[in-house]
Amino acid sequence: MRLLDIRNLNIELLTSDSSIKAVESANFSMKMAEVSGLIGESGSGKSLVAKALVGMLNNRWEVTADRLHFMGQDLNRMSESKRRKVISDNISMIYQEPRRCLDPTSNIFSQLEESLPDYEFSGWFGAKKELRIKKCIRLLHKVGIKEHEKVFNSYPHMLSEGICQKIMIAMAIAKEPKLLIADEPTTSLEGDTSLKVIKLLKSLNQLKEMGVIFITHNLFSITSWADSINVMYCGQLIESGLTKNIINAPKHPYTKALFDSEPDFKSRDINNKQKLYALKGTIPTLQHLPIGCRLGPRCPNAQRACVKIPEQQKIKGQFFRCHYPLQQKPLQNNWKKA
Amino acid sequence: MFNYFYRKLSLLFFITFGVTVFVFSLNYLFPTDVLSNMSGITSINEIDYEKIAQQYNLNDSVITQYFGFIGRLLDGDWGVSFITGTSIFEQVFRVLPATIELAMYALFYSFIVAIPLGILASSENHPWLDKSILALSIVGFSMPIFWLALLLILVFSIGLGWFPTSGRLSLIYDIPSSSGFLFLDIIRSSVDYKSEAFADAFRHLVLPTFVLAAYPTTVLIRTTRQSMKDVMNTSYVKAAKIKGLTSGQLLRRHGLRNGLLPVIQMLGIHFGTVITLAMVTEVIFAWPGVGSWLVDAIHQRDYPAIQGGLLVISGMVFVATILFDLLYMIFDPLARRHGHGKI
Repeated sequence: MRLLDIRNLNIELLTSDSSIKAVESANFSMKMAEVSGLIGESGSGKSLVAKALVGMLNNRWEVTADRLHFMGQDLNRMSESKRRKVISDNISMIYQEPRRCLDPTSNIFSQLEESLPDYEFSGWFGAKKELRIKKCIRLLHKVGIKEHEKVFNSYPHMLSEGICQKIMIAMAIAKEPKLLIADEPTTSLEGDTSLKVIKLLKSLNQLKEMGVIFITHNLFSITSWADSINVMYCGQLIESGLTKNIINAPKHPYTKALFDSEPDFKSRDINNKQKLYALKGTIPTLQHLPIGCRLGPRCPNAQRACVKIPEQQKIKGQFFRCHYPLQQKPLQNNWKKA
Repeated sequence: MFNYFYRKLSLLFFITFGVTVFVFSLNYLFPTDVLSNMSGITSINEIDYEKIAQQYNLNDSVITQYFGFIGRLLDGDWGVSFITGTSIFEQVFRVLPATIELAMYALFYSFIVAIPLGILASSENHPWLDKSILALSIVGFSMPIFWLALLLILVFSIGLGWFPTSGRLSLIYDIPSSSGFLFLDIIRSSVDYKSEAFADAFRHLVLPTFVLAAYPTTVLIRTTRQSMKDVMNTSYVKAAKIKGLTSGQLLRRHGLRNGLLPVIQMLGIHFGTVITLAMVTEVIFAWPGVGSWLVDAIHQRDYPAIQGGLLVISGMVFVATILFDLLYMIFDPLARRHGHGKI
């Protein structure tokens, strides 16, 4: 059984006279307890996919999909309330802006406590309360906050961004979800803590069989532990496959460019004053999307056929959308697992 | 917390200073004789003049006169009325509770009516409800309340005869006045027609409360609607929704707490307007409050009474504003941080 199976996901922004396809026919699937990386530049629609999955987008957005299965259940055919129940029971999310996702007027303890599920605790009222407090303390310790007493009584504006992020993580893992969506969870954390957080997510993934979608634009933080990688460009999911295949033999020019533009300073094959590689041009704005393959105007191998959106092809378990896929050839800079 | 309270109190102090300076200067600005304005005695003969001028420090500097004025204010000697010759202090505090009562009921009524309506209007599931509530609130907002009052009297008092046209209580009920707040007095009194008197007082209250509440209700509906819309669209409410909270929990724990903050602020800001409107309402319904009393004083050119009324009403507005500010602080942890006094 697949944890998540999405076919043809479209996310459209409805404006007064037209609609803009912010995410265009994305296919995405995950096995149980898989760690899947979702990478791409900022503005490529990574967070949109995540928000659409948990139903966080407001009604200016229209989300449609041909197939939307979660653990074998068809979310498309459920009533609104049932879907909300399934999602809130099984999926939790770590947000990009932790402080904006914490209620400014209630203290941390009450916000952490309300993310605990009810069914886990039994006993009479007082004992239940005590159990919940203990569980909250354990959660904070788990994410690396030692002064739980002080943090419990604080309000979000009193805490640093990093601590808020840790609290968000504690909330996300409180109900031991089947799927955790981590939307750039380590951007506001210092290096040491971000490693710890990744370690924590890794252990939860292994011990509790928790699937993880790890959204990031930092390749180093994902290539070491993700089972599979999905690359997004400008709202199109252009390539997905196993991590080692994607690294060693990317089929899509953008994937290759993405890895090439991440300089490997350790291997010392960069000369003094050598120009670093970067793809020409910038990511287009949503108002001026190119037709067909959205990489078209920037792609080094673009040809006439690229004005039509390429069909998804599959070679050895690797999915990609490109008319002129790159030939199997080991990469120049010998990308290693970081 | 204490710091904040202290700041608010010092703000109150400076405002009181400003108002007393203004009220004191009215003694000189009003057209009649300065000594008459201060003492409230209209015809002072030559012999008494020196004596009374001595008593009111009229021969000393203006600053000494001001401090004398403050001293008399604190002693409760606010002069006597030009018209009746009775003590202004006693008059003001006899009529003040009726106004406070009316304003409180109106604010309370508008609070309990406006907030559910505002929340209903903010819901995105029922656009027609939103539109009709907004339309209703615009009608209420733009209708002059004296006209509304007359219409209501015409329909409900004269036409249908449900409610009395004026006053606080029928003359047949004789309730001894102890606190000045009518319902409290009725409960504390030992008459044997308590429940009848209570019902009658209530019937007298209905129309003035409704008229006075019309304006704050509409303002609150619009504020609540907008702020609830904003709050329900914030990331933290959506994040809480994904945590698995039901709609009710969401509203109770996150929505209301954040959504009502601007409403509390609005209540504080509009308290002054409500008092002004209360004057109009009191005049129309012959409600024996400080508003109609002050309007009478203005008509009769009763300068000492105008000064007294001014002091009391402005004091009431300040105290209410600061109370609402404190209430705001209790609910909003962010406000406790930067608490420099501001109104």
